[in-house]
Amino acid sequence: MTFREQLQAWRYNLVPDHVIGEILTKRWTDNAIPFLALVIVVASFGSAIPGFFKLYSLQESTRQLGEFSLVVTGLTVVMLGGGIDLAVGSIFALSAFSAVSMVFIFEQPVWLAFAASMATGATFGAINGYLIGFLRLRAFITTLVTFIIGRALYDILVVNFGSKIQMSMASSDTWDFIGDGTILGLSVPVLSALVLAIVTHIALTRSRPGWHVLAVGGSRRSAHNAGIKVRQTVFMTYVFSGLCAAAAGFLIATRLSGAGPGTGHGLEILALTAAVVGGNSLGGGRGSVVKGIMGAIIVMVMTNGLIRLGYGTGTNQMVLGILLAVAVTIDIRWLKNRHKVLNEVYVAPVYLRMGEAPSAVPGSGTPYALNSELSGATHIGLGEVEGPEDVILDRDDHLYCGTRHGEIVRFFAPDYTRSEVFAHIGGFPLGLAFDRDGNLLTCVGAMGLYQIAPDRTVTQLSAETRRSFTSIVDDARLRDPNDLDIAPDGKVYFTDSTKRYDAHEWTLDSIENRATGRLLVFDPSDGSTKTLLDGYRYTNGVTMAHDNKSLFFCESWACRIHRYWLEGPKAGTAECVIRDMPGYPDNINRASDGTYWMAWLGMRTPSFDLSLRHPAMRKRMARRLPQDDWLFPNINTGGVVKFNDKGEILHTMGDLTGLAHPMVTSMREHKGELFIGGILNNRIGRYKIDGADTGWTSNDSYWGASK
Amino acid sequence: MIFDPILELFRGRAITIPPMDGAFRPNAVLDETPVLAELPQADNLCALGDRLLASSGTALIEIRADAAPETVQSFASPITALAAAPDCTLTIALEDGTLSENGTPVSLPKGVTCITALAYGPDGALWLANGSDRHPVSGWVADLMEKNADGSVWRRAPGAGFKVMAKKLAWPFGLLPDAKGCLVSESWRHQLVRVEGSTVKPVLRHLPGYPARLAASADGGAWLAIFAPRNRLIEMVLQETHYRFDMMASVPRDYWIAPAFASGESFLEPLQCGGIRTMGVHKAWSPSRSCGLVVRLAPDMTPTFSLHSRANGKRHGTCSVIEHQGRAVIAARGGNCILTAEDRT
Repeated sequence: MTFREQLQAWRYNLVPDHVIGEILTKRWTDNAIPFLALVIVVASFGSAIPGFFKLYSLQESTRQLGEFSLVVTGLTVVMLGGGIDLAVGSIFALSAFSAVSMVFIFEQPVWLAFAASMATGATFGAINGYLIGFLRLRAFITTLVTFIIGRALYDILVVNFGSKIQMSMASSDTWDFIGDGTILGLSVPVLSALVLAIVTHIALTRSRPGWHVLAVGGSRRSAHNAGIKVRQTVFMTYVFSGLCAAAAGFLIATRLSGAGPGTGHGLEILALTAAVVGGNSLGGGRGSVVKGIMGAIIVMVMTNGLIRLGYGTGTNQMVLGILLAVAVTIDIRWLKNRHKVLNEVYVAPVYLRMGEAPSAVPGSGTPYALNSELSGATHIGLGEVEGPEDVILDRDDHLYCGTRHGEIVRFFAPDYTRSEVFAHIGGFPLGLAFDRDGNLLTCVGAMGLYQIAPDRTVTQLSAETRRSFTSIVDDARLRDPNDLDIAPDGKVYFTDSTKRYDAHEWTLDSIENRATGRLLVFDPSDGSTKTLLDGYRYTNGVTMAHDNKSLFFCESWACRIHRYWLEGPKAGTAECVIRDMPGYPDNINRASDGTYWMAWLGMRTPSFDLSLRHPAMRKRMARRLPQDDWLFPNINTGGVVKFNDKGEILHTMGDLTGLAHPMVTSMREHKGELFIGGILNNRIGRYKIDGADTGWTSNDSYWGASK
Repeated sequence: MIFDPILELFRGRAITIPPMDGAFRPNAVLDETPVLAELPQADNLCALGDRLLASSGTALIEIRADAAPETVQSFASPITALAAAPDCTLTIALEDGTLSENGTPVSLPKGVTCITALAYGPDGALWLANGSDRHPVSGWVADLMEKNADGSVWRRAPGAGFKVMAKKLAWPFGLLPDAKGCLVSESWRHQLVRVEGSTVKPVLRHLPGYPARLAASADGGAWLAIFAPRNRLIEMVLQETHYRFDMMASVPRDYWIAPAFASGESFLEPLQCGGIRTMGVHKAWSPSRSCGLVVRLAPDMTPTFSLHSRANGKRHGTCSVIEHQGRAVIAARGGNCILTAEDRT
């Protein structure tokens, strides 16, 4: 191995590149950009303005921030529901006026002032909500109108009653406390903003009305089709926004004890900027309260900071405008390209040097030498069945297979020309096995381990195991359950091939070649699923040894067969029995003569083996080429290989014409014949085995002769 | 998008190839057209008067419409190029680097050992394409994967010696001389160039495959044979220095990720995702290392139509095409056959 190759091996096997892709699949990565912006803004203004972090200064600016956050939270909810609310500024001002006039003109108690504020907010919110939600007017125009009318109303009121308020002698301790006091060092606006943010966050992420808001924002039509009351939901978001703005208005009224012509001026633009800069999508459905709060902090710190640095209103507005433009651009570009970025970085290949394999070339004289024996197989269900990964026969000789449509199809003995859908499961049914009672168990790709009773009832047996500590994407869920076998005590041993790719993307796992395959056991007595082994390169076929003391399973991309001991001194450990095969093994099943059949899903090619030693090349390939052009192992040629308990290869059969059985993923011996399946094939093969025991069936082999 | 140049630093630039579109719009004509003769390794065609000759490995074969192909002559070394002069002089180049004219050895300038094409001009001058200074003709795939551009084009005026007309060409593989100069197909650069005096000027660029021999057509245009399609994976491997040299050092040549005259014959050959046989179907549009493609060029050298054998076809490796008795005759080296196609203009 050259030094360069050694470096590559270290680089790609020790640095966990795949983590980047897995983190990007998380929705919270959407917060990364606003969070970064937040840190930069706070740090730069904090260092530019002396005394920025002083307690008094913070106390004052956080009061303002608390009020502002309330408004932004309300606006965020409207935006999540797919709308926009420009009226928040005038609602804010009118509510402040309501509270102030209640206390200073009518000399009423503070709670009544609060109630008046909230009623103002609710009224205006309801007007917006009714017009937009029920009469289905455009949100932008409607709220612009209410904004103008509200603002005009406020200006009239302030001109007529402003002096009356200023002259008033009324006073209240409660009022002053809300305006100036602190609880546990936190001011009332901050506390109320925090409480509202937490409650709204929980409501949005964990409650039915919150989900409805997100669903409506994501797609009105789909939400409607799903039975959500779209109009009512939209209506409620505006009422909520109105109430939030009203609460903020009440708080500023207590803080300033008055209402001037500038109150709430330009607030709608500030709030909108905050919500968008935080990362809430203008299109609706995507965003969170946390983002709104982040945006609020960014905008508040910037505007206050610029004023304290001596810049005028013009500069301030300009900066806000630029901020909004940048945020909208990033939002749209990210939304559009996120999946592309994910696609490009998700495949993170590792280094592997495959061992030298014996040749499988016809005439090479090795036991692996391929031939075209399987091209002599007759076909079952040609063109009717799509993707029979595994095949199995019951005690009445009927033939079962899974299909890529998520069905289990049954072909009727003796000629297998008639078929029916035995059961519909969904997913992609792969490995099949009959248990003692004649239930059909199947590993369903992308779903889990399922059981189909003879009366066709489908039951899920297992869909998850224990999560591993270092996982980023939840690996408790089974992504690609592949093959299974059942021990005499009823325990089901099965494989989950990869944690990195879904069942239909199984071939991509060969490009990455990361060892994430597992061997699991399902215990029907308590319904538990345990992980026995982890870290194999695509665990695939499983079969119980004839003496039931161990089981064989294969590791496809490493071209190995392992034996896992169930009893004896080596119980609980695995050992490699066959290594460095020239083909990629798939399912394994028992043969009538006490040996085993193994399917080869494809053949190693020198160019692909070499690419495994060049992970950087594979990584660039995944980024620079469309998937159709990626280099794959040769899965257009497969075969059936017979081996014994000692791991000796006895016989190999193939179809070098590639016409009938290019790829073989399973085979099942039954009464002297071999039934052959292929996950990408459109037929099941039926092949007469010379000299095989014509009475042998796997059901008898596993569960004893039929009753 | 403005961010792309920045992002490309991290993700790499996408590799693109010219689409098979316009005049290159695919069809299956080459797979449907009648076979004139089954001939292993059918390579270079030439018309000697009315006779149609083809090279097939070491043998020179005469193709006749009404009878089986007949071996005219056998050589010790494979034939790499043929040309017939209007006066029925037959010139044959061999893999071992020798050139003979009507059986008489011709002395060649030093360094000319890789004769990929021969042609006589209307003035009786013999044009010769030397594919590479570094490899024999059979080493073409190594020449491509080493990214060499050491080919040259030579001209021998009647009664004079060979004179180099163009150098530093990337595997000149076809010649079509006229009164003023010569049209040359430059395979590794996917283009046709015009050699005139001492200038070399591209005429047709960005071909979707690797161009091979050229032939004149009656209307003043030309026929161009393209023996393999461009393939994104191969183009990427050409940019992957370490992988490429490791591959050349350790993988048998037939199994390289490289263009080929025929593909899919061994399970040791590389397979691309799109080429996976699914539900019994090999997609015609899947990426492939080989193809059959013959292009008709108008007198101004713009492609007008093309005949294809696609990824799922068999008549691949079309290295030579000539117009003979009013129809196009095509040699498919990978398909081991000679085909005829009616003129569709």
